[in-house]
Amino acid sequence: MIYYAIEVMAPLLLAGLGGLFAELAGVLNIALEGMMLAGAFAAIVSASLTGSIAAGMLGGLIAGTVLAYLFYFVGIRMRANIFIVGLAINLLAAGSIPFLSSAMYGTKGVLRLPRVPRMPGFFVGIETGFPLLDQIFLGHSFGVYLTVPAVLLAGLVLQRTPFGLRLRSTGKNPETLRAVGLNPDRYRRAALLISGMGAGLAGSLLALRLGVYLPNVSAGRGWIALVTIYLGYKRPFGVLIAALCFALAEGVSVAAQGVLQIPGTILLGLPYILTVLAMIAYSAMRRVAPSDD
Amino acid sequence: MSRSQPESRVLVTIAAIGGALALTVLLLTFVSSTPQAALRAFFLGPFSNRYYLGNMLNIFSTLAITGLGMAIAFRAGVFNLGGEGQLYVSALTATMTGLALASLPVMLGLPIALSVGILTGAVIAGLSGVFRYLWDTDELITSFLIASACIPIVDYLIVGPLKDQASNLLTTERVPEAFRLPRLLAPSQLNPTLIIALLLLVVAYIALFRTVRGYEWRLSGLNRQFARYGGIHTGVYIIVPMVVSGALHGLAGGLFVFGTHYATLVGFTAGLGWNGIAVALIAKRHPLGVIPAAAAFAYLESGAHIAMLHTDFTFELGTIIRAVIFLFVTATVLPHSDIAARMSGRVRPFSRKRQT
Repeated sequence: MIYYAIEVMAPLLLAGLGGLFAELAGVLNIALEGMMLAGAFAAIVSASLTGSIAAGMLGGLIAGTVLAYLFYFVGIRMRANIFIVGLAINLLAAGSIPFLSSAMYGTKGVLRLPRVPRMPGFFVGIETGFPLLDQIFLGHSFGVYLTVPAVLLAGLVLQRTPFGLRLRSTGKNPETLRAVGLNPDRYRRAALLISGMGAGLAGSLLALRLGVYLPNVSAGRGWIALVTIYLGYKRPFGVLIAALCFALAEGVSVAAQGVLQIPGTILLGLPYILTVLAMIAYSAMRRVAPSDD
Repeated sequence: MSRSQPESRVLVTIAAIGGALALTVLLLTFVSSTPQAALRAFFLGPFSNRYYLGNMLNIFSTLAITGLGMAIAFRAGVFNLGGEGQLYVSALTATMTGLALASLPVMLGLPIALSVGILTGAVIAGLSGVFRYLWDTDELITSFLIASACIPIVDYLIVGPLKDQASNLLTTERVPEAFRLPRLLAPSQLNPTLIIALLLLVVAYIALFRTVRGYEWRLSGLNRQFARYGGIHTGVYIIVPMVVSGALHGLAGGLFVFGTHYATLVGFTAGLGWNGIAVALIAKRHPLGVIPAAAAFAYLESGAHIAMLHTDFTFELGTIIRAVIFLFVTATVLPHSDIAARMSGRVRPFSRKRQT
């Protein structure tokens, strides 16, 4: 189950880390869900066209980034309401994927395309002498191992570079940035594009692991990714822990579904409820002890 | 949705609708083997016969109520983004009440069933208002999330325990014959919801612009701090507008059942709640502005429906149109103005400064 949880965690974590950049720059990216979905679709399409996993992941990354740029252009440049724009992007993904799917392949259902390679396992056959650890940590798909450098890199960039500092001050007080002659919009753009890459890549992992595109394959994970940002106290390592918790919870709930006969449809509502609870907890805690951000 | 509304916003609105239209034309031309027929159907279809015309007016009626529900919340500076779910859940509770009270006389049973629908919507939306009041959680997001969580539960109930076993469709049982509202333009679905909607718009206009409470309501939306300074209990104007907004969606849901479908079907709200938001934004949050906005949207929606019959495959054209309108409708053409500064106050909805 832990093995499964780690596998589930990877996309959640990548989307969450990307969203963290946007959140720190002061832009709540609620379009993570739509970006993941677009990433998943684009990944399967480009993997099928090229027969390569890497191209699939690149396709997902690009799809997420394109939507993120649209988000930036309308939401930041044209000063539209961020939340409405985010919803629009989610709707756009939800509406245009079935359209593209039926225009290109004649179905808007499950998309099983030829030449989509299987996601290879990494570190297979290596033994460290601890069979339990081997079982849990080795043999995962590539995306899982991508998350380790991603967390480190995110932490490094956000905490130890001038870029990260400026990005964070964009969120806290954009006037400061303007006062030193920098344009906060540029940092918002960078942050949004990073979140688009993260979400697009996350989507590509979801789809490539299955080898098919399923309608609504993201199933609320974009929203859960948002929750991990808050539960993780807006720190990359915190996001990692939160994503792991959710992944374990999903493992448990999948198991519970079999044992307790909870209908799967109701579980679809769970991500939203959890997001509300996390928000309330976060707001309530802020009021008790005003934190530094 | 900025709290200021310079005239340039009219241009943006026109551009948003125009963009959506252009995209629709493009898509229809692209996907249809008979693009001319499809375009004709899209533009002229809604007026081509009684059936389509009545159905368009019926869409208008529901949109006018949901649009009003959004507009008056926006007026008070609160945002209800859960309309879709509120409509759906209320439709189900109203249906179930109608079925349970089938033996009562219609004059008693129908109002009770509609009230249950109204109450359902009011409670779901009201929760977000209470959360905002108590903990300053952004009602914009919580209303969306709570409603989104409700939708799969309703889906489950209709497909599962509440399914009409006699029907092949995913639907509840149909409400008793006596409870169904009369059809105004048979064979179309048009029913007295239209009259109720128009009455509500007028009542809302008078309440908002001709009463003291309405003044306080609008002032709270314009500048909450100033309103409080003026002695208005602004906390009330967070919870009450959410409750009223939810109640209107509940009413719309109930009427949708008793006037149009006579049952709750899986996914039958089909974006009516979402479109309510777009209608309210296009109407510039004005109750009477809702009339042209809802008419424009009803036209687009029914045009899209009819045009789909003339293309080779179906897809969610309505969703794409809605996405494009959402994308641009709140945009402003003034890149660096004080709106920008004000909007940046909304950029971080999670940690909005406490204004109550």
